[in-house]
Amino acid sequence: MSHPDHAVAGHDEHGGATHFSENKVLIYLVVLTALEVGWGLAGKSFGWNRPMLWGGLLFFAFYKGWLIAVYFMHLKFEGWVVKSLILPTPFLVLVIFGYVMPDVADKQTNLIHPVGSKLDPKTGLVVEDMHEHWHKPAADGAGH
Amino acid sequence: MSHALAAYDPAVDAPAPHHPIYDYDSGPPVERQKFAIWLFLATEIMFFSGLIGAYIVLRSAAANWPDPSERLAVDITAANTFILIMSSWTMVKAVFAAKKGEQGKTARWLLATILIGSAFVGVQVYEYIELYHHGALPHVDIFWSTFYAMTGFHGTHVVVGVIWNIWVLQRVLRGKYTAKNNIGVELAGLYWHFVDLVWVLLFTIVYLF
Repeated sequence: MSHPDHAVAGHDEHGGATHFSENKVLIYLVVLTALEVGWGLAGKSFGWNRPMLWGGLLFFAFYKGWLIAVYFMHLKFEGWVVKSLILPTPFLVLVIFGYVMPDVADKQTNLIHPVGSKLDPKTGLVVEDMHEHWHKPAADGAGH
Repeated sequence: MSHALAAYDPAVDAPAPHHPIYDYDSGPPVERQKFAIWLFLATEIMFFSGLIGAYIVLRSAAANWPDPSERLAVDITAANTFILIMSSWTMVKAVFAAKKGEQGKTARWLLATILIGSAFVGVQVYEYIELYHHGALPHVDIFWSTFYAMTGFHGTHVVVGVIWNIWVLQRVLRGKYTAKNNIGVELAGLYWHFVDLVWVLLFTIVYLF
């Protein structure tokens, strides 16, 4: 299967390539989705470790996202203005994660209390733990 | 001041009727509508990043997290992902047809996009109804609240996209677009592809992780 780049055919008024093989991109997306689902199911069936399972899934997901953005959304053929509007957003996303991840890394207790738990507003300690209440349905095979 | 006025000679200093400075377009070197939609999409990226970021933090901080495949129908949703990808492809076809001035083809591909997009929403509604019957509601636990928040906001975006495409379709049928003026179709297409892109990521993070 050749890369969608190789099927570039059309040109805009400035002489730049603007057309691509949408059929090839579709095939890429379908195949990648099938591989991704297969990867996820195989990883859970064979008990792969998380870095391998999640790393593979993220690779497939971002590759598909990249294909959609670059070809279907024509980002490849846009000028510097549009590219400079979009390209900073991944860095801004990293800023968000950078601010919130310390909360996760510094968890001395579980950050998440089951919904309905009551906390002492002064000490932050759990007064009424709903853990058992909410975990009853999980015994039916919910996976907790 | 008087010296400045005296030094001003209209015959020499006045700009020509078509002086280059008055032909300068102060806007960005891209169509204004396209600039606006990309700016909007940049804010949408941040919006969904906030949702996904909150999900990752909550999931990382939880003592236990259920395996999504034990609570959700991954097979049906995988099929639904194929459906949405297909709708993106038909949208590309519609935009290409619009750029060629082929209004009949544009209308047909847009109609296909609307129908396929509606099918995606239909499957998602079916999924919600099934979950409702199994008592899986947002207030039950943090898994369900994050699930409904992310898929619900995305589903709302798909519904908006379908409505937008219907509006564009009626304009196509009324002959509002030509080979040179088809920016309306392109803008709807950009939004639709973005919704598809977000789903590709959400499907992985919510259903497969």
